[in-house]
Parts: sequence; C-alpha cells; structure tokens
Amino acid sequence: MRPSRELLILLCATLVGCAPDAARSGNDRGYRGVVIPEPRAKPAFTLTDTRGEPFDFRERTRGYLTLVFFGYTYCPDICPVTMANLGAVMRELRPSVSRRIRVVFVTTDPARDTPERLGRWLRNFHPNFIGLTGDFDRINEIQQTMGLPPAQLGVPDSATGSYLVGHSAYVVAFTPDGLGRVLYPFGTRQVDWAHDLPKLLEDEWDDS
Amino acid sequence: MRELRWWCGPASGAWDWTWQPYVGVWLFLLAIIGAYILLVRRLGRPEPAERRARRRAVGWFATGIILLWGALDWPLGPLGAGYLASLHMVQFLLVGVAAPAFLLLGLPPETFRRIERAPRFMKLLDDLTQPIAAFFIFNVVMTVTHWPSVVDTLMATAAGSFVVDITWLLTGLVFWWPLCSPVPARPRFGPMLQVVYLALNAILIRPPFAFLLFSRYPVYATYELAAPIPGTDALGDQQLAAGIMKIGTAWIMAVAAAVVIYQYHRRKGFAQST
Repeated sequence: MRPSRELLILLCATLVGCAPDAARSGNDRGYRGVVIPEPRAKPAFTLTDTRGEPFDFRERTRGYLTLVFFGYTYCPDICPVTMANLGAVMRELRPSVSRRIRVVFVTTDPARDTPERLGRWLRNFHPNFIGLTGDFDRINEIQQTMGLPPAQLGVPDSATGSYLVGHSAYVVAFTPDGLGRVLYPFGTRQVDWAHDLPKLLEDEWDDS
Repeated sequence: MRELRWWCGPASGAWDWTWQPYVGVWLFLLAIIGAYILLVRRLGRPEPAERRARRRAVGWFATGIILLWGALDWPLGPLGAGYLASLHMVQFLLVGVAAPAFLLLGLPPETFRRIERAPRFMKLLDDLTQPIAAFFIFNVVMTVTHWPSVVDTLMATAAGSFVVDITWLLTGLVFWWPLCSPVPARPRFGPMLQVVYLALNAILIRPPFAFLLFSRYPVYATYELAAPIPGTDALGDQQLAAGIMKIGTAWIMAVAAAVVIYQYHRRKGFAQST
C-alpha cells in the first residue's frame, strides 16, 4: 500500500525535524552538523551515473570527502534547496578544498529520474555533482546501510499523475578515510557548509 | 484554491501561481478604508474653497491603499514573506516608505484642525514626530526589522509577518508626519531642512544594506531555505534586495525632495505675485 500525501509530508517533516537543533547548536568537535557517535563504513555499491555508465561508489570516491544525499529531481523544496546550497558553497570554497570533495546525489525516484534528466537537473547546481540512479529497492537498501530510512513513493495525483517521494533529508558526510562521520539535516545553511567542509578535510579523527 | 490564510507567512512548498486569499489583509484594508470614510463623513461637506483639496486628498488616500494592497496581498505578499528577499524589500518600500506618505496626504486638511483640539494626542505627536526623533525611529526600526535574526524569527509565522508589516507602516507614518502634516506646527523645519532630512535618509548607509550586499553567504535563513524559484539564487536575490533597499529608498526620498522644492518655489512665486 502506498502512503498518503499527508503521511509523506509527515515523514519528511519528522525526518527534517529530528536533529536541526543539534545541528545548529554544534557539538564538542565544533561541527555544525551532527557527529555520528559510531562512524559508519562507506557502503560498497554500483549504480548508474548520469552518462548511463556504472559507477562504483566506494572506488570512485576513495580518498575524497564525500557528501551523499538521497532525493529526487521532482522534489519541490528540500532537494533543490540542499543542492543549491551545496553548489553555492562549492563555488565559494578554495579550489584546493573543493577539488577534494565529491557530492553524490542518489535518486529515490528512478522511474522518473532518468540519467539524462538527473544530469540536467544537477548541472543547474554544480557541474561536478555526481548523479546516480538504479533499482528503487536497491537504492532503499543502500540508504538503510547508511542508517537512513527508506524512501516511500506517494500516491499519484489523479489528474496529473505526479507524486511525491518521502525521503530522508540528511546529507551524509564520509571523510577521506571512508567513514560516515557527520549528518547534515535540512536547514543546514551555506555558512554552516562553508565552516564544516574544510574542517572535515583537515580534522584528524581518533576512532579508538 | 488552497486553504484560507489570514496573512502572508513562511513558504509552504514550492511556489506556484495558484491564487491564494489572505482574508486578514482584506479586513485590515477594509478597516482603514472604513475609518477613513467615517472620518470624512464626520468632517461633513467641505467648504466650496476646500472641495478641490478634499477630492485630491481622497485620491492620495486611494493611492496609499492601492500600494498597501499590492504589497500585502497575493502574489507580492506571499512571495516577499516566504520566498524572495528582494520582494520582501519591495514590500518594505511600499508599506514602510511609499504608502504612509500617501495615506497622510490623504487626510483632509480639516482633520489636522481637529487633531489640534486633542491636547494629549497633540503632545504625543509632538514628541514622536520631532524630525530628529522621527529620523531616529525610522532608521532604528528599519535596521532592526531587517536584522537577520529578527527577520528569521518574525517571518517564520503569519503573526510575525503581520507585526513586521504593521511596524513598517506605523514607522513610515512617523517618518513622513513632519513633512506631510501641518500639525504640530514646526516653523523652524522649513523646506531647506526638509530637503536635508530627506537627503540624509537617501544617502545614509544602514547596516542591513552593507551586510546584504557584502555578505559571502545568504544572511536570511527564511529565504535561503525556502523552495527556490527557478532563475533565482539565494545570494543573488539578497544582493538584489540590498540594491532595491538603497536605490528604492533614495529614489523615493529624491522625488519627495523635488516635491518640497517645487512647492517652495510655487509658494514663493505666489507670494511675490500677490
């Protein structure tokens, strides 16, 4: 059974609302995002990129600060805002910093987000953003391995056929050592990204 | 049609051009119009010599109401309250700078004679609308109501947005009172000082202008995190807002100064011819 529009909105709101206070108040490491107490290993998976070619996520992002976001191009608010803010900050960062960062957008709506559409949409925000698509269930499994809730398709509008997709609103930051260390909820601002991204590259983590 | 909302507030989802009623805006404007009609009726029919002035005043008042309506109702109201800082600034110019001048010009001359008969109100007016006080109040309120934390707090709800709009309107009335009203009499605040008063407001660099223009990142969370409108970006929108604030205010002040100078010369010419 597909959840109703109201349920999806509630899901989004809940996901969005879980941690913004924690994000804005920072933490003992000085990040504006939420530091994950037990860092998560970068999952290994292969999806299709915007050129229609296989993309080995772990291999192709090895050694980079990798920001992963799950969303969809028809998203009315959270996805475009998140990607626009990341794109704006990536353009503002020093090249020595920005070239060590990979931003990966994985669609939660593969039925509508073709590789071409995904590529076109992402280029609105930044030319180097990576877009991935694949099987809906596989993408949900990947989300769950990252500790994120699975996406849920909404009920299509009877007139237009369009539908919403409930999805998590977090960006997961994997540091160059391959561990997911910080979560960024919706509401993370450009100034927060500009503060945290260089720090994520510079900080040394003691996982002992 | 969407749900009924009483006042423009934060963005709810992506912007579309579906018309939305804002009942509070209509009631607010109807209340002002009603009060005006009541006032004009109480004043009674004007003397023949004052009929032209009365008609002109009604015209100014109608202009003020139209400006308020345009600024507060759909589409400018919701776009400015929740989506674009640049349109928020257009709203400010209309509600806080332009409309109050027209509303004051819309008061029939007899109104001021009536105000003079209310000593307590006159005292309050005298204190509030001293040009230096009015200048100070206008600029402090303008700065505070554009401060990022204040904007983000107040614009998060329709009630907060209402407070901002009313504050702008009242402050605008205070600002224009020394220029548009003959009471309380301020013989020392002549045309030259009036032009200086306006010019200072035109050239003054206020803190919001500086941080809106020069900030590297968007300063208002309200607009940064609102669903984007195609073709706009948060920082560019913010810089446009700074331009609108500065150029818009300067332009209105320049027009007002030109009117002051024109009226002065007209009066002088009239005095010389008689």
